[in-house]
Amino acid sequence: MTARVRGKETWRSLRVAVWLGWQVESNWTDPFLFAVYSVVRPVAGALILVFMYLVVARGGLENPLFPYVFVGNAFYIYVGAVLMGISWVVIDDREHYGMLKYMYVAPLNILTYLLGRGVAQTAIATIATAITLLFGVGVLGIRIPPGQVDWGLLAVALVLGLSALAFMGLLLAGATLLTARHNFFIGQAVAGALYLLSGVVFPLDVLPPALQWVGKALPVTYWLEALRRALLGEGGNEALRAIPTGHLLPILAGSTLALAVVSILFFRWAEGVAHCRGLLDMQTMY
Amino acid sequence: MQAREYSIETKDLTRVFRVKRREARGEKREITALDRADLAVERGELFGVLGPNGAGKTTLIKILATLLSPTSGTARVAGVDVVANPWEVRRHIGMVSGGESSGYGLLTVEENLWMFSQFYGMRGADVRKRIKELLEVVGLADGAKTKIYHLSTGMRQKMNFARGFLTDPEILFLDEPTIGLDVQTARTLRAYIRKWMDDHPDRTILLTTHYMYEADELCDRVAIIDQGKVLACDTPAALKRDLQEEAVFRLKVEGDLDPEKLLRGIAGVHRFTHAARDGHAQLDLILADENVLLPVLSGIQGTGGRLVSLEKRAPTLEDVFIRLVGHGLNEGGDAGGASEPAP
Amino acid sequence: MNLRREMKTFLRTVIGRAYPRVIGMRREKSWMLFEVLLPLLQVAAFVYIYQAIGAPPEFTGFVVLGGAMTAYWMNVLWSMASQLYWEKETGNLELYIIAPTSRMAILIGMAAGGIMTTTIRAVGVLTLGVLIFRVPMEVTDVPALVGVFLLTLVALYGLGMLLASLFLLWGRQAWHLANLLQEPVFLVSGFYFPVRALGFLVALGASIVPITLGLDAMRQLLFPQMMEGFRFLPVGTQLGALAVQAVVFLFLAHRALRYFEDRARREGRLTLRGL
Repeated sequence: MTARVRGKETWRSLRVAVWLGWQVESNWTDPFLFAVYSVVRPVAGALILVFMYLVVARGGLENPLFPYVFVGNAFYIYVGAVLMGISWVVIDDREHYGMLKYMYVAPLNILTYLLGRGVAQTAIATIATAITLLFGVGVLGIRIPPGQVDWGLLAVALVLGLSALAFMGLLLAGATLLTARHNFFIGQAVAGALYLLSGVVFPLDVLPPALQWVGKALPVTYWLEALRRALLGEGGNEALRAIPTGHLLPILAGSTLALAVVSILFFRWAEGVAHCRGLLDMQTMY
Repeated sequence: MQAREYSIETKDLTRVFRVKRREARGEKREITALDRADLAVERGELFGVLGPNGAGKTTLIKILATLLSPTSGTARVAGVDVVANPWEVRRHIGMVSGGESSGYGLLTVEENLWMFSQFYGMRGADVRKRIKELLEVVGLADGAKTKIYHLSTGMRQKMNFARGFLTDPEILFLDEPTIGLDVQTARTLRAYIRKWMDDHPDRTILLTTHYMYEADELCDRVAIIDQGKVLACDTPAALKRDLQEEAVFRLKVEGDLDPEKLLRGIAGVHRFTHAARDGHAQLDLILADENVLLPVLSGIQGTGGRLVSLEKRAPTLEDVFIRLVGHGLNEGGDAGGASEPAP
Repeated sequence: MNLRREMKTFLRTVIGRAYPRVIGMRREKSWMLFEVLLPLLQVAAFVYIYQAIGAPPEFTGFVVLGGAMTAYWMNVLWSMASQLYWEKETGNLELYIIAPTSRMAILIGMAAGGIMTTTIRAVGVLTLGVLIFRVPMEVTDVPALVGVFLLTLVALYGLGMLLASLFLLWGRQAWHLANLLQEPVFLVSGFYFPVRALGFLVALGASIVPITLGLDAMRQLLFPQMMEGFRFLPVGTQLGALAVQAVVFLFLAHRALRYFEDRARREGRLTLRGL
């Protein structure tokens, strides 16, 4: 197959997947309810944190840790959305719509298709993150002066971080090809683990040393650190303070690349196993 | 309480589906799936409902099985009104929908069947015996311990069929039970349906199909339905008898032929269908009498066509359907359709 | 059909529907990872937040207890209420509907099967949480604690059945509703902090979800000193309210299942898929 044909196929897969993802996500209700739904859930998640601070922390929301934690939590919305958005497609297409097998027999690039299906949820997460940040600035008094924001760092970190999450989603999609549908979804479950290990809502320093090392091996940790530094000037993690900002992006890029390689290899392996065992159209609801 | 004269009785049964404005996109916003259908099925009857895809057969079964309410009219199953007392109706019925997949993929065939039997309160020992019997009948005995996500579509359908008979219901609805099955399996299942009825003369089956052979072979009486309307209802023999005075022919013709143009102008051609078969045009004709054949053959000759074969046939239910509707069971309509399997 | 036979069918239905859940767990062991181990890490994250901001050790206990009860809320949402949506999509719902058995029995069967994983998860979170984070618990009144826990579960699963009835009517809306009820309920029911922090009126409103009252009462019984400043209602009142909720929700669920089933039948939604 020529590169041109392959390129066309990839583009077509992405285009169709993005369109389909948006239809599946949005056309179950009217636009107003959809907008409310898309925002209420993540904002409620952010408010849990606010109340935890209000109840306990010395100085409440004035506690110096709060802005770091709030920003980490706001961007964490992406983690759940992207991981779920991509990995859930396997279950939804396989067991709900019965379409996964047809996707495999169509001349589609399945990797691009899965990534494309996650775009809709990423777009919704972008709106929710923006609203959460605006809520933090406008209502909770978090100081993010636009003049002091490092917009370049923010943009590059955002792109790299979302790429890392997308590849992580692909890894989970591979795992989903081989496992049953449980009540707690793999995307949610792994996002929950990252909540702990990437220092989303507390400095990494609080974790026991062994867990800190796990955290330091995850791109999400560097992503959040870079975003905090871009918005707040500092990352809030003592354990990462020694890394200059100029080094953060290469680390993030390098770990994303490594993750991409591992994810694609794992997905291809899982795909092979699924083909061998005839799992592409299994029904595992129980 | 009304006397239970009929197992199933419908009067003016109508179901209209409303399509949401944004989904209608300028099309009509109401679809009449069932249009004032009157049926009366006696206890012990194997009653067929024959019609093409989209005729309203499944809608009828859904209403009788208490899954859908009618828009108007009444339906009684086992003497009980399906709208007023669906709960009581369910004590008397069972249902099999062909082409459907039900059950849980991680369970084996016998586990799935056992689970469904529990919803009917069946005792463990009875259930095991009955599952074994039925799996033998449908040819799934070797697959009893197979998880159902490993089953082929046909095997799942066999399991589904076994589930319907598992509880020996008083009234059983079979909605296209052999659709998509291979000829041998379909034959086995049809034989079992007949045998079950012979063994249980007090039971009733309402079977929908778009295979005329199935209706002809199995059913005591058949209702022909199209676009929601019941067009005729009688025994297969009586329905076919109505065509005795007419002549039914099948012609195979070679050459460039426009059957519509050719046949429309000939007086005495009551109905016709045509299809391309093996490089020939196959014409099925219902003529007023045999004399009408002559102008038909002249017409073919006039257009340069060559007659390959000519067969005078005994009328079938398909011919009855064509006579009533104007097209064959597997053509026209709105949904196309599967071709008739060999008997 | 006599009462004895009805009861037998009810029980057989519960066992019949619980069976796939139990067997499914045995055959697909990946649930241990997804439903027990990984969620445990999320609870740990909330513990570390409190440690990071120097909260008293009892707050770790609040989180661990909240994390354990989260499992039941998730079970109600995903294994019971929205499960009917999946059953419809896979063709099982219509077979449930035409079976001469109680819908409540089918739902209880679903829940009972799921309760095994849920309880393993809850006990896992609780045990590991207490051991790893050294939660200082002081059990003051064991019968009251057990009573609150059991009543909370009955009321909660009653609410689950009520939600399930709505899901007979809805398609993907139901799925999204379940999604929507996750985090906001974690917030307003005080899964990770005492609900009193939201203010009395908000806490009162949130008490519609039985876990709000159950959690608060259990926290009062396990961490009496720390809860003195955060007490929402006296334990006795909460016990009474939970008992009322249990009865009311079960009654409403029974009525609603019938009502929504009738409505879904009229609107042709019981068998309509891909919505």
